Amino acid sequence: MAIVQILLNAVIAASLYALVGAGFALIFRTSKFFHFAHAATFTAGAYLTYTFKQIVGLSLPISVVFSLIGCGIVGLLMSRLLFLPLRRRGASSLVLLLSSLGLYVILQNSISLIYGDHIKSIRDAKVVEGIPIFGARITEIQIAAILGAAVLIFLLHTGLRYTGAGKALRAVASNPTLAKLVGVDSNLVVQLAFVAGSVLAGAAGILVALDIDMTPSMGMLMLMMGVVAVIIGGVRSLVGIAFGALLLGAAQNLGTWLVSSQWQDAIAFAILVVFLLVRPRGFVGG
Amino acid sequence: MQYLLHILILIGIYVILSSSLNLVAGYAGLISVAHASFFAVGAYAAALLSVHFGSPLIVNLLCAALLAALCSLLIGFPSLRIRDDYFVIATFGFQVLTFSVLNNWVKLTRGPLGIPGIPRASLFGWEVSSQFEFLVVVTVLSLATIWCCKVISESPYGRVLKAIREDEMFATAAGKNVAAFKISAFAFAGGLASIGGVLYAHYISFVDPSSFTVMESIFILSIVIIGGAGSLLGPVVGAVLLVSLPEALRLIGLQSAIAANVRQILYGGLLLAFMLWRPRGLLGRFSFEKDVH
Repeated sequence: MAIVQILLNAVIAASLYALVGAGFALIFRTSKFFHFAHAATFTAGAYLTYTFKQIVGLSLPISVVFSLIGCGIVGLLMSRLLFLPLRRRGASSLVLLLSSLGLYVILQNSISLIYGDHIKSIRDAKVVEGIPIFGARITEIQIAAILGAAVLIFLLHTGLRYTGAGKALRAVASNPTLAKLVGVDSNLVVQLAFVAGSVLAGAAGILVALDIDMTPSMGMLMLMMGVVAVIIGGVRSLVGIAFGALLLGAAQNLGTWLVSSQWQDAIAFAILVVFLLVRPRGFVGG
Repeated sequence: MQYLLHILILIGIYVILSSSLNLVAGYAGLISVAHASFFAVGAYAAALLSVHFGSPLIVNLLCAALLAALCSLLIGFPSLRIRDDYFVIATFGFQVLTFSVLNNWVKLTRGPLGIPGIPRASLFGWEVSSQFEFLVVVTVLSLATIWCCKVISESPYGRVLKAIREDEMFATAAGKNVAAFKISAFAFAGGLASIGGVLYAHYISFVDPSSFTVMESIFILSIVIIGGAGSLLGPVVGAVLLVSLPEALRLIGLQSAIAANVRQILYGGLLLAFMLWRPRGLLGRFSFEKDVH
């Protein structure tokens, strides 16, 4: 039942892409620039969990909660110390992008300075055999990844739609001037988006680490996949992003099955360029 | 002395890389984080040609430049439709793709193992054997690159590139074939960058994919931005500064195990600091501050 396994693998990959992409899109919608350092937040999630679990010696669930809070704080600091001051000076989106690149370089190298470049693990030593379903296999952590991503994206979707903060965020995203006129504090909203987006990235980082361990440079490729999902789906629609992530995951896993796993990144690049050329604002975006 | 020569050779190679990136990023305003790809094309072309055929430097340079110019089409064509931040993302994807090809096309590149034992450069029967002689070759080629960039930027062609950067619509309205200008600018930039790659391969005598990551691309871009995008000497000043400054760390006795990370933290920090306080860079004429959204 190769096809079931392919679909399953596609869904697992897609749930992680969607988490990274949703966080990236949230920050992009409110602050209108490409936040490259999002890749470092993703990696930070994994390494914070490693710190709490393997070094401090806490249990896994508590480590995860602390790490998510940690990622939220990272996001808050990024917005308060860097992006809001830059924006106050009227920096363009390219200047913001370049400073985010600089920040990414600093953070990734700090992580590799502290923890070293070799692989670190937060998994238990024993190798678990996957649970069989329809002739395919899935591990518990992969089920957790799918469920975790689904729950977080559902929460984000509901939060954006029904809570006051979510409405303020959408207002700033669609028309900053009008939002300001009706008294929405856009600086607060930007910080909120950074915190929520960073928590999502951190969650994805932790899930990846639980599945396949961590290295300091793990974030860049993942960010690229998240961005491709966003480009396919459009920044404004979480459903679109989830769909984009599924399309990318399916294309990559089909490619692996038909040709070879070597060309996963090439497939992602091809999809990225095609969508940028044909529908730069995604399926759903205007 | 050997050490000083080593630093000067590296500076020369980075002058070539950053000056060529400046053609697209500085003059045409198309920021790219894919420049290490063209660096890689040059390095691998030189490595494969000289290991398998023992070809002379001139042949390596020409083949590498042609190949890099061809590869630049992959990123030149998207630049016609994709703008600004979205274009940066496309180049980012291209960079990821390059690394993946180098790492996975094992039959050609030997993947992560890299290609060792690249012979020294030979030029009309003269083998460039000492480090000093190599520095002479690097200096000549980097001066040639700067001269090329000077000619390009001061020509009517260069003025059109700057016009595209300032106002693409205006350039189109003035009857300029914007597409041809962008694509050829990328071909020039890619071709010139490959010279840096060829020199690097002959100098280090070993290439592997880890030298051509997105970090390397960001480093080259940082040189251009910190030195000053859109000015002829900006990338030169940037290369001198960013290559030699981290060496000062080594002089104060930093272990080489952490030196690589500290070096990158340093240039990441410099990039950030310049964005905060001097987005134009040291000698820049242009700061990407015009917001297009």
